[in-house]
Amino acid sequence: MGAGHAATALSQMVGRPIGMSITQVQILPTEQIAEFLGGEQADVAAVYMPVYGDICGVVLIFFPIDILPDLAGLLLKRDSQANQELSDLDRSAIKELGSILTGSYLSALYRFIHVQMIHGVPTLVIDMAQAILDTVLVDLEQKDDFAIVIETRLTENERRLTGRFFLLPEAGTLPKLFNAFTQSIETPGNA
Amino acid sequence: MPETDWPVGIAEMKTARSPDRLSAIGLGSCVGVAVWDEESGWGALAHVMLPAQNGLSRVPVRGKFADTAVEWLVAELVQKGVDQGRLKAKLVGGANMFNAIQYNPLPVGTRNVMACREELTKRGIPVLAEEVGGTKGRSILFLPQDGRLLIRSLNQPERWI
Repeated sequence: MGAGHAATALSQMVGRPIGMSITQVQILPTEQIAEFLGGEQADVAAVYMPVYGDICGVVLIFFPIDILPDLAGLLLKRDSQANQELSDLDRSAIKELGSILTGSYLSALYRFIHVQMIHGVPTLVIDMAQAILDTVLVDLEQKDDFAIVIETRLTENERRLTGRFFLLPEAGTLPKLFNAFTQSIETPGNA
Repeated sequence: MPETDWPVGIAEMKTARSPDRLSAIGLGSCVGVAVWDEESGWGALAHVMLPAQNGLSRVPVRGKFADTAVEWLVAELVQKGVDQGRLKAKLVGGANMFNAIQYNPLPVGTRNVMACREELTKRGIPVLAEEVGGTKGRSILFLPQDGRLLIRSLNQPERWI
């Protein structure tokens, strides 16, 4: 349901209908994230945002680098050209997309499990998957906890672009999140 | 016997003897501390996450902190029969990848590098070369036989230090 709201927000932003669907949700140990993204040395793009509230942590939205020109094209209403250098405007549009997706997921989480979170300013990084994770894990001072992964597909006409949303809670806060999930399941009508 | 590459993951430490090699993939704000003795061919690599333990960690992981990791590196090599006075070091990493939103004048990558340097200097181990800071992640391959270190980053040529 987070994806539904985000799709509406995005369609308004770009002025044409954009479909969005959640293709997969899972809990992943942090040491498996790099593998999940295609290996430690895989070059990826990530929109990074700090998250504050009942649970603090970091949101990372990963996109394969080869879809970035397409993604920017979709957002900025122009045809994409392959191997095109990203302009400042492109980078800004991709960050905005990250921000919209995150806002929607966080409000969906609030409706589901009553955990309130807001996100900070997005940054776009393009680097090795492991180097991005390395830095984020240092910030969170965690190494062997878990992340929540939500895979999302954006569609517009024949374009299909997949991004992966990761919520990495600060060390030791995942039990809090699990408790909230358990409570919302045990109390029918909350969702 | 063909040489083996030993991968050193985040907060890990390993020793190896030439012709074996040590590697670390995706150093972001973490620092790879490479220490070696050319004469015996023994070397060690740590993948340090944070400057100092300071009672910070819930679980004591020595490889995580600059102070405890450098102490371990030296102790392990001395135990292998290496003379501490012959040890030399190189440092790689400590990037500030999310620079744009971190207003901290001393981001963790920078503090990691400073702490590693200090711990090595304290023990009289010279830092012969380093590639630190910047905004790009790095992967490294370390050869204990002569201390050479190969560095790779995205969209940049490979280089040896």
